[in-house]
Amino acid sequence: MKTVFVNVEKCIGCRHCEIACAKEHSKNKDVLSILNDDPQPLPRISVGLGIDFMKFPNRCRHCDPAPCHQICPTGAIYKDEELGSVLVKETNCISCGMCAMVCPFSAINFHRTPVTNTVISYKCDDCIDRQKNGREPACAEACKTGALVFGDINEIISGLKQDIVMKITQDIKGIEPAEIPENIKIFQGIKEKIAQLGPMPSSN
Amino acid sequence: MDNMRFDSDKIKKMVEERTIDESAKPALEITLKEGIETVWDRLEKQQPQCGFGELGVCCNRCTMGPCRIDPFEGGPERGVCGADADLIVARNFLDDLATGAAAHSDHGREVVETLYETATGKAQGYNITDTEKLNTIAAELGIKIENRDKNEIAKDVALALLEEFGTIKNSIQFVERAPEQTKKIWKTAGIYPRSVDREIVEAMHRIHMGVGADYANILLHGLRTSLSDGWGGSMMATEASDILFGTPEIKETWANMGVLKGDMVNIILHGHNPILSEMVVEAAEDPELKKLAEKNGAKGINLAGMCCTGNELLMRKGVPVAGNMLNQELVIATGAVEVMIIDYQCIFPSITQTAACFHSKIVSTSEKSKVPGAVHMEFHPETAYDTAKKIIKMAIENYPNRNPDRVKIPGKPMKMMAGFSVEAIVKALGGTLKPLVDVIAAGKIRGAVGIVGCNNPKIKHDYGHIQLAKELIKKDILVVETGCAAIASGKEGLLLPEAAELAGDGLKEVCKSLGIPPVLHMGSCVDCSRILVLGAALGNALGVGIDQLPLAGAAPEWYSQKAVSIGSYFVSSGVFTVLGIPPKIFGSSNVINLVAKDLENVVNATFAVEPDPIAAANLISDHIEKKRENLGI
Repeated sequence: MKTVFVNVEKCIGCRHCEIACAKEHSKNKDVLSILNDDPQPLPRISVGLGIDFMKFPNRCRHCDPAPCHQICPTGAIYKDEELGSVLVKETNCISCGMCAMVCPFSAINFHRTPVTNTVISYKCDDCIDRQKNGREPACAEACKTGALVFGDINEIISGLKQDIVMKITQDIKGIEPAEIPENIKIFQGIKEKIAQLGPMPSSN
Repeated sequence: MDNMRFDSDKIKKMVEERTIDESAKPALEITLKEGIETVWDRLEKQQPQCGFGELGVCCNRCTMGPCRIDPFEGGPERGVCGADADLIVARNFLDDLATGAAAHSDHGREVVETLYETATGKAQGYNITDTEKLNTIAAELGIKIENRDKNEIAKDVALALLEEFGTIKNSIQFVERAPEQTKKIWKTAGIYPRSVDREIVEAMHRIHMGVGADYANILLHGLRTSLSDGWGGSMMATEASDILFGTPEIKETWANMGVLKGDMVNIILHGHNPILSEMVVEAAEDPELKKLAEKNGAKGINLAGMCCTGNELLMRKGVPVAGNMLNQELVIATGAVEVMIIDYQCIFPSITQTAACFHSKIVSTSEKSKVPGAVHMEFHPETAYDTAKKIIKMAIENYPNRNPDRVKIPGKPMKMMAGFSVEAIVKALGGTLKPLVDVIAAGKIRGAVGIVGCNNPKIKHDYGHIQLAKELIKKDILVVETGCAAIASGKEGLLLPEAAELAGDGLKEVCKSLGIPPVLHMGSCVDCSRILVLGAALGNALGVGIDQLPLAGAAPEWYSQKAVSIGSYFVSSGVFTVLGIPPKIFGSSNVINLVAKDLENVVNATFAVEPDPIAAANLISDHIEKKRENLGI
């Protein structure tokens, strides 16, 4: 199973993924002409702010079974047989909002689409056209920090497993595990303090 | 805020998270209730902010880019041109610093130009007010004083100062004020500033692609550029303003948004440059205008300052100050502002949007600083007084448009003492700095710290400034302030002699015997140059470099590129400086090491970053005690 895996500690909130998503779903697939599109393609991934200035890129996880798929009364939400991506057949959607209500990630919005020119269920389509042409989803391609990684989930996890093994054995040997660079750690510590001194969400 | 509305408990909580300024809270509540957008709402809407930018590893200078470096392993390590994180961070830092130095210095140039116009009889309403300072500076510049008219001297002084901006003599005269030991450090490090404009232009050159790849070499030029600001452009702004409008003397005035008057025409003077606002202060005394105000149903004309224009006016004229940077939208939300006059710097580009929610008018006055939606009444020295009168007249005529139901002026203003120019401090000490040196040597005062810089909505408004100042005075450390920091202390009551009760026993005793506050207001942000002059005078009095003195700097809530320049000229001058907000350099370990450690071997001072005011006070106190030990006091 291939997915866009989120390494949350590597998300620095640049929102390249959002722009890349909007661009991918625009008429000309060009940032400069997006402004002329009507309706404008909104990003289907969104980077949100958590506590202590931490960030999380949130998108449809393409669940299986998918609650939105199960609850959709008109069959507008369906699964791609080959890739398992959860997709919307726009002409079937009656804008009832059930899919959004049951989504565990609040990853479904409602937005006007050019197909029907009505406001309907609007969600990540897993860049299915790209995937079928052997390309990774636009958000993962745009991410330069490794916060969004596209691949076989078991392969990604086995890489992370190895990291954990290295970390534990380094720890036993008294070696400082170096998965996050020192300068970034210091910076994150400073940001945490600023969050505590100001109006932004903080850990205490 | 779109159509979002909050319940009143939520609003109360948001207000408490945003500011500690009691006078600002009712207006902040109004903005939240009525959906009037403020800086805090915009900060929220900007979240999450881009980490590449925060870390300084985003380069958007050329069209091979924009490029960014992956702060973790695996992504791109170099931009298209080949620049690595160190170089991109260093270029960005120099860019910010040069922008700040340019802002101060261009302000300085305008004041000097007005001095020239005044001296040559072309400026309307201006006079040479402080001839003593004129003569002192003329002597420094080698200009003959004897048997000459003050205007003749002033003309030569203005020309000599204007020459400093582009001089080919390879040094700036005011730099000579620094102690010999300090100047030696600059010469050894190769950072002796050559002229004001040259360093800024060279900085712009050096951030171009392919002009060196050595981050340290780029940052060293940053230090030189900052010195050309602190000991050049900013110092000229301060000195020329003193000559024109008088060197500040100790005086009492009022602070916070309660300085607005419910039954008078309120005019806010916002920005940084005193040259037009001084004329407004003068024109507001015009009997004709006073009569017009009465005719329009007001009891008179009430002027109030904001930000550093406010600081300039309160230092010299005792004009009350309504607040610092984060007060600018809230003051309009009182519904009681007829006109806000803006010159330049730190004026929110959206200020006319805020004003559009009320009857308030924004009047822009600088050719450099026009804002859509503002009434533009351009200031020129030749017609300054007439322009000032016209603007006041517009404010008076706008008074009947005020909606009394929407007017909400907060309680009482806070009394404050200001006007602590170096000259005023020396005078208060009986004509010499020796008493100050003696109490420092005796340990009653452990040292002195300049708390300077802006507000930043990421930190609760004024909280960083106030907590740090309180912690330091508790430790018997004298605090001198400028800019938004000084206004914060004014609003909090720390600029009152009574605040000495909050100080440690030693500082309390000194303050009480002199009748001064434990926190001294030294002026606007260009007046950080006064702090340099004070440091130089203390160094000269003890026969040591500034770096050897028990001094430190702090900018707990800074936001602006000007603060990058100020922090850098403090450090370059040998003053350890603690920042409350991280500069955009954390994408490069090498740059962090340079500014936080290795600069010690170059200028005997470093930067530190510490948002927590208590931890920052401890860092500063440790540093001061170390310096005292080295001096053997």
